[in-house]
Amino acid sequence: MRALEPWVEGPLRTFVAESQVRVALLMTSAGQVVAQHGFTRSLDVMTAAALGAGIVASTRELARETGAGTFGAIVHQGGKQGVFLAPFSMPDAQWIGLAVFGPDTSIGLVQLFFGRMVDDLVKTAPRTLPGREVLPETFEDDLNASLRALFGR
Amino acid sequence: MTDDIAAMTLELAQDPNSLVFLRLAEALRRKGQLDAALTVAGRGAGRYPELADAHDLLARIQADKGDGDGAFDAWTTVLRLAPDHLGAHKGLAFIAYRTGDLGRSVRHLTRALELAPADTSLASAIERIRSMMVSRTEPAAGAPEPAPAEPRAAVDATPTLLFDQQGRVLRGKLERSDGVDASDAVAAALAGVSREAERATRMLELGEWRAIAIESGAVNYELRTPTSETLLLVMRGREVPAGRLARIADKAVDQARQWLEELA
Amino acid sequence: MTAREQMVLDDITRVSGVKSAILVAADDGLVVAESALEGQATEAAAAFAARLAQRLAALTRTLHTPPMSVMLLQATGGQLFVAAGGEGLLLVAVTGNDVNIGEVRLALLDAAGRLN
Repeated sequence: MRALEPWVEGPLRTFVAESQVRVALLMTSAGQVVAQHGFTRSLDVMTAAALGAGIVASTRELARETGAGTFGAIVHQGGKQGVFLAPFSMPDAQWIGLAVFGPDTSIGLVQLFFGRMVDDLVKTAPRTLPGREVLPETFEDDLNASLRALFGR
Repeated sequence: MTDDIAAMTLELAQDPNSLVFLRLAEALRRKGQLDAALTVAGRGAGRYPELADAHDLLARIQADKGDGDGAFDAWTTVLRLAPDHLGAHKGLAFIAYRTGDLGRSVRHLTRALELAPADTSLASAIERIRSMMVSRTEPAAGAPEPAPAEPRAAVDATPTLLFDQQGRVLRGKLERSDGVDASDAVAAALAGVSREAERATRMLELGEWRAIAIESGAVNYELRTPTSETLLLVMRGREVPAGRLARIADKAVDQARQWLEELA
Repeated sequence: MTAREQMVLDDITRVSGVKSAILVAADDGLVVAESALEGQATEAAAAFAARLAQRLAALTRTLHTPPMSVMLLQATGGQLFVAAGGEGLLLVAVTGNDVNIGEVRLALLDAAGRLN
């Protein structure tokens, strides 16, 4: 497990242990990675963060266009593993959580412990969060900096 | 006495956590109101499962009601919580005597005498039972008819499997209906269940888990944890009601603990 | 949640000592319908009940006995009942220890029959 923000590590570690997800990723709504568990290559994190942020943004837009209000978590249940993707509100930023889980757990448990992790994160978050506006021209630099920190490169 | 009972009943109603249930149930028992006493003591023991005196009281009420199995279970629980509980040793000695298990009766009485050396009635009881054991081939007039040792027999007739948290079989055997030994497969399949149950009861604030009863067609199962490191599964057909299977499981747990202690 | 499901679940919570009755998706552990006293964590009960039922299904599969019809997890501070509730569903009840086990069991089996 690697976290850019040390206070994130405890709640994420508990989430991973209790929900028994295989992979977990926390990022800002702009795709800036905050913490990860289970990824072995920086490229995977980069792809997952970009896709996760994109899916949440496009789903939000779809909800707005169709007048459906807001969507909560997005779950894709595959044959051998499932993907759970959910935006959530931190004190002064929007974050996204992504988890990949196998048959050794269930959506219900992932959702339950994800909710508890969000509560813990909100409680332990410092006043200023890494949720600043990410401009398109600095996005890649920011992402690369995050990945270096997360993978020690 | 009636006024006392009314006052204690009121006190318990106002504070269900009060330990006054011990005195109330005892007062009801002495008055012969055994069903009421059993209800009060049972609820109290449920609230205070680690309180040996609550189970001792429960056992005495059940003994008064003629429920030997229930009394045996409760006094066994007492000894698990408080191995030197004088009342439990006396009670179990009495039950063993009633069921004709004179050796066990003497063992409990001897332990009771060690705990209460000034109690001369214990010494004379031991003497009397020992003399009965000597002349057992010709039972003395008035000696109790040995009752069928159903609890022990019931446990022995029950397919039971003891295994550890890593899914390794320790003792016993379970077979599928076609006679194939499924012990290893069952132990492997259930290895992590204890942790799941522990997590569920912790998260749901239900306390510590004690038993899992499962109904599956014509078969009933009961899963227990004799120790924190082990699991015990007992299995019987539906003709054995779930309540009785639970009692059989209680005894199987005792046997498993004894076996594990001897092994240690 | 349909009105019928609600009625069936309400009937379970009428049994003395029952704190919550939940219809749960067996594979997901998600709440389909619920009837609960205030403050009861039905999401957690649903998720853990489904998980335990999945784990214990391995037992009946291994021993070639029929799927579980009723399961009861007993703990020092309460009990968790789980009954097969029809196609892909479980009926779950959380109770205290001061409860008539036979009555709750029958209420769950009756509810399962009405939902099928």
